[in-house]
Amino acid sequence: MNCEKCQELIGDLVDGGLSRKDQSTLGLHLEECFACADVRNDLQSIVAFCRSHRGEYSAPPDADGLWLRIRNVIEAEAQPTAKSAPTSPAPSFWSGWLSRSWELSMPQLAASAAAIVLVVSLGTTVALRRWDHSRGMGPVASSPRSEAATRVRDRMWQQEQAINYWNQRVETNKVRWNQGMRDTFERNLKVIDQAVNDSLNELNRDPHDEVSEEMLNAALNEKLALLREFSDL
Amino acid sequence: MSLLLSIPRRFSGGHIFSVLVVFVFLYSFTSPIANAQNRVSKRFPAGKNVRVELKNISGTITVESWNRDEIKITALLEAPTANVSPKLTGECVSIDVTGDNRGRGDVGDVNFKIQVPQDSSVDIETRRGDITISNIGGGLVRAHISTEGDITLSGISATQVLAQNTIGNIFFDGGFSRGGTYQFQSTKGDISVRIPADSAFRLVAAASTKKIALGEFWNNRFQTLGDGRKFVGDVGDGRSSVMVTTFQGSITFIRR
Repeated sequence: MNCEKCQELIGDLVDGGLSRKDQSTLGLHLEECFACADVRNDLQSIVAFCRSHRGEYSAPPDADGLWLRIRNVIEAEAQPTAKSAPTSPAPSFWSGWLSRSWELSMPQLAASAAAIVLVVSLGTTVALRRWDHSRGMGPVASSPRSEAATRVRDRMWQQEQAINYWNQRVETNKVRWNQGMRDTFERNLKVIDQAVNDSLNELNRDPHDEVSEEMLNAALNEKLALLREFSDL
Repeated sequence: MSLLLSIPRRFSGGHIFSVLVVFVFLYSFTSPIANAQNRVSKRFPAGKNVRVELKNISGTITVESWNRDEIKITALLEAPTANVSPKLTGECVSIDVTGDNRGRGDVGDVNFKIQVPQDSSVDIETRRGDITISNIGGGLVRAHISTEGDITLSGISATQVLAQNTIGNIFFDGGFSRGGTYQFQSTKGDISVRIPADSAFRLVAAASTKKIALGEFWNNRFQTLGDGRKFVGDVGDGRSSVMVTTFQGSITFIRR
């Protein structure tokens, strides 16, 4: 038997929980090894003391106060040590943070866990919203119906930007046209707008109507082409 | 001087008639009516597969084929007269009324008559006015009216035909070539397509009004979409592609 194995079994020996065979093997080792014998003797005297003074120990009346006092004493000792060695490099944030330890009561622990759960949940929700938004899907775009409506709205918005630009140019040049050309332009623009509105109405009724979507695209393209051409006059 | 004025003179009927003729002659060159319409005519030599490009602002345009290897452009210019300067570049004759009059604002109608060899390609666009193209069999026939005007294409055997307007009817009478593409679009106008009975093509026809009449070209392989607003299908082996769209009008296919 080696020392390591012996010291593992010493506790059981003192408690009287070893088999007869183990007791004899351990006994042989303890007769030869003084170090292990000392360990056995120490343990036996501690156990004997505890047994003889059982019931005499009473917990301090204010355990929290005791710990606070202990901590104050430790910190008071630690501060002069730190001040006495100004040349030693200050510990980095991470090494300080890693070497630091906290003591938390059960309510504090529970509150910390709840706070972590709350922060993670909020973070996840915000991240998911942003991700959806970056894909052009707002929270309302979760259903296929609203997805189609959003797609149409996006396209309308894009086209309207271009239409506004060309419309401004047309308005600038319109003063140079004769009355006949102005009337023609207004009349045709009205017809195209009517086509756009008809397609939009159909799409409002059924956002999945592909025919209306195609017609809307064609009408918007035609409007854009008309404005672009007349802005050149 | 006073003596000359005081002497009575005798004028014969011949004198009076001569004075009237001179007066009418001078008036015909100087009056506003005479200035209202100018005429420009120009001829260009043309080989096979020539191309004519015209960008007009307003006025009627007629393009027709003839049996000569040359292109003749005749333009009637209404006041205030526009600048019209046809140019020959390689095999392409181009007339850009829009570009030549940019910034001038108000210019009058320019009515064109263009005669070309039959195998020519023609690319015509205008802001306003009717376009008539007949008996052309080149690679391309394009007629584009930004606003209003009828488009009449007859005797067309080009491989690519594009006709588009906003307000006005479109009429096509011709044949669809194998592998050709044919596109007709009007916002507010009726579109009629007259083709031989044995035509073979793939058709996409859409009309918001649901007025689509395929006549003898209808078959049960056609797919009806959008509650009757769109038809997609093959006629024959579908070897050419035909797309017809109108928002506020009808589509009619007629057998020739």
